[in-house]
Amino acid sequence: MIFEVLRWLGYGTIAYFIVMQVYLIVLALLSGAALRRNHHLRRFGRVGEMLSSRTTPPITIVIPAYNEAAGIVDSVRSMSIVKYPRFEIVITNDGSSDQTLDSLIAAFDLEKVRIPYRPDLDCAPVRAIYRGRSGVDITVIDKENGGRADALNAGINAARHPYVLCTDADVVLDPDCLVHAMQRVVEDRERTVGVGGNVRPLNGSRVELGHLIEASVPHGLIARMQILEYVRTFLASRPGWSWMNALPNVSGAFGIWKKSVIVEVGGFTRGHMGEDMDLTMRVHRHLLDRKIPYRIVYEPSAVIWTEVPDTARVLRRQRIRWHRGLMTTVKDFFGMTFNPRYRQVGMVSWGGFVLFEFLAPIIEFLGWIVVPTAWALGALNTTALGAMLLVAFGMGLMNSIIALLLDESYGYFNSPADTSRLIAVAVIENFGLRQMTVVWRIRALVGGKGTRSWGNMERRGVANLARQE
Amino acid sequence: MPLDQIIRLALLVIFSVNAALVTALVTLKTVHRRRMRLHEKRRQGYLAVLSRHLSYEHCTDPITEDMAEDPAFLDALIDMRNAITGDEVATLRRIVNRHGVIERQVRHLDSSLLLGRRLRAAVAIAEIGDETAADALMRHLDDREPEIRIQCARGLGRIQWTPAIDQIVSRFSGEDPWVRARFSDTLVGYGTKATWPLLAYVRINHRFESKGPALALRTIGQIQDDQAVGPMLEILDDAADLDVQLATIEALGELASPEALPALVDLLDDEVWQLRAKAASAMGGIGDPEAIPRMFGSLRDENWWVRRSAAAALARLPGGVDALYAALEDEDRYAADAAAEALTDAGELVSARRRIDAGVSDNEPLLAHMERGVVA
Repeated sequence: MIFEVLRWLGYGTIAYFIVMQVYLIVLALLSGAALRRNHHLRRFGRVGEMLSSRTTPPITIVIPAYNEAAGIVDSVRSMSIVKYPRFEIVITNDGSSDQTLDSLIAAFDLEKVRIPYRPDLDCAPVRAIYRGRSGVDITVIDKENGGRADALNAGINAARHPYVLCTDADVVLDPDCLVHAMQRVVEDRERTVGVGGNVRPLNGSRVELGHLIEASVPHGLIARMQILEYVRTFLASRPGWSWMNALPNVSGAFGIWKKSVIVEVGGFTRGHMGEDMDLTMRVHRHLLDRKIPYRIVYEPSAVIWTEVPDTARVLRRQRIRWHRGLMTTVKDFFGMTFNPRYRQVGMVSWGGFVLFEFLAPIIEFLGWIVVPTAWALGALNTTALGAMLLVAFGMGLMNSIIALLLDESYGYFNSPADTSRLIAVAVIENFGLRQMTVVWRIRALVGGKGTRSWGNMERRGVANLARQE
Repeated sequence: MPLDQIIRLALLVIFSVNAALVTALVTLKTVHRRRMRLHEKRRQGYLAVLSRHLSYEHCTDPITEDMAEDPAFLDALIDMRNAITGDEVATLRRIVNRHGVIERQVRHLDSSLLLGRRLRAAVAIAEIGDETAADALMRHLDDREPEIRIQCARGLGRIQWTPAIDQIVSRFSGEDPWVRARFSDTLVGYGTKATWPLLAYVRINHRFESKGPALALRTIGQIQDDQAVGPMLEILDDAADLDVQLATIEALGELASPEALPALVDLLDDEVWQLRAKAASAMGGIGDPEAIPRMFGSLRDENWWVRRSAAAALARLPGGVDALYAALEDEDRYAADAAAEALTDAGELVSARRRIDAGVSDNEPLLAHMERGVVA
């Protein structure tokens, strides 16, 4: 009896991964179709029309900053010359203990002001507001420390425009990213409440004066693996979900939201470790419950570059934090999982997310226990096991290569060396790296000391990143 | 079929597909760079040829059929068209016509099955702007592809093809919002020729729908045709839809005619706050200092956005800055804060600091207000 159970558990685990890979490949193919169309439209000049049109809505760029003295000035400078007709920048200094505020004051000639500030969203007390005198439309909210979500809420409170871009202090914006993203808003201003962008790892690329000069694959295996991960996430799944109007997460590094909708749902949840997904899901639930027509879309041409962890130690902390955030979100939105009331969000994207993102490490971990045990007890056909593992590996590899093919139309990483490095990572990641992330995710599920804090990213700053590679 | 054979077959298929995908990826990446490099090289070469043709009437550099089919040649044509003005544009059109470039692109637009090729053709025709393509452009205003409809309207606007105005205006109803917005840009390019068709469209449709008429009104505002003020005041009087009302007020602000002032002053007392805020902003656009006392009152409006709009509008009026300085002393702290923000945006904070630094002044009320700190 126990033999039978173990055997079927073993096969079940492997079958789960095959089903998961089929789901991901179908999603990648859907994404491919969506990207193909986007590629044509991007080539034939929508940017100029948006820039010169007076129908283009203004936007507020909200940047939360906690101990970002190393790179905040370069980041803000790169953002201040983004191509867009009308925008303001609101930076929230979230009680930094370093020189973040002082460096901003010095760089942008800030002056303390008393102007209307309406706390529509809950956040820690605001100590002071500064406005720039250097020609850049910049406002700095200096507040008590309250975390990223809290800082974003404070920034949104101070936003004067109907749309807000919630981003990070350590990103480099592609100069056209706002135009591309806001074009999706102009396409359907009534229904569009959120737009996500295409986040790409910056490590290894050449950055000068806050601008990306040349993208290339970094040397470290950890950072390389993340390039592949980001390409899979942002090009092989999000365009497909967006096409279904079922995007489960608008990335925290680049998310445009209609301010009125964020205020309606109460803003970002303070202290939440996955505040971006939490907000996206709350907006879905809020609008679907009220049967209000809406859309949350993903724009692959809105490219932003961000620093990713390049050591296992920092990556571990980040992944534990992300998975804790995902756990809380799964708990909060469990009622939406495979619930037909929430249509394609509940049935396809969120359901798939819970099944193949949240449960994957648990099932893989179980597999690690069950399969060797069944094999040791002679309850497993080793040939069939090997074959099924090869099928799962082959399909995972296929998913990665499709993602790299989809990335081709964006023209990054075109050198033969970069291409071969990424293909090599697609193979290598299956032998150790992926298993490492499973362990970290299980660690996050177990909880306890070291899993409940944000930890430090140990940022080098956008300007220094490439030089130190 | 036994299980082991199925698995073997599956493995064979999966790894064959993977091998094919890797080959495709490597080929694409290698080819992509080479293709881009060659495209750019050809584009530069074509630019040189076109430049010589524009400089010497009897230039003998050949423009062959193959060249006219080359996407790099189209890119060079578009770049050249955007770099020249006056007589040179006519010369370029002659070159284009002599080599049948437009006809070729119209053929692609009409019959190609490839979206990329059709889009490139539409963009090329729109950018080059040639009257021989007007019929095709008019026909494709009904194209199934939104982006092609946009490019066709742009092309017609570029050659100022007047018969297209009514056609474009009529498509404000039922069109995609994105396309509608781009159509609006095209109509702005037509100038006052588009005013009356737009007004006629609004009059007929504003009772039945809001989005199309609202955009039409905003388009009129951008055209800045004074003759539209009277009819727009009638529409404001008649309209029941909030979007249409807001668009009319916004357009009246753009037109900046004092004739609209009484109607806007009345709206400052409207029960709908959006109308009050929009009316205050529009009054700022008109720029009549007689509105100052009435707008000063709006600084104490119960609605946050009305206060901010009134303050921002006051800053645009002659003498309005003085009124805002007076409002800094207002016992209503929200009115004072709104005034302080408007003064800051108007550059008064920088000026006040400079006066202090230069020793010209030792008492700046705006700086004193700022010292009071944040009050949420």
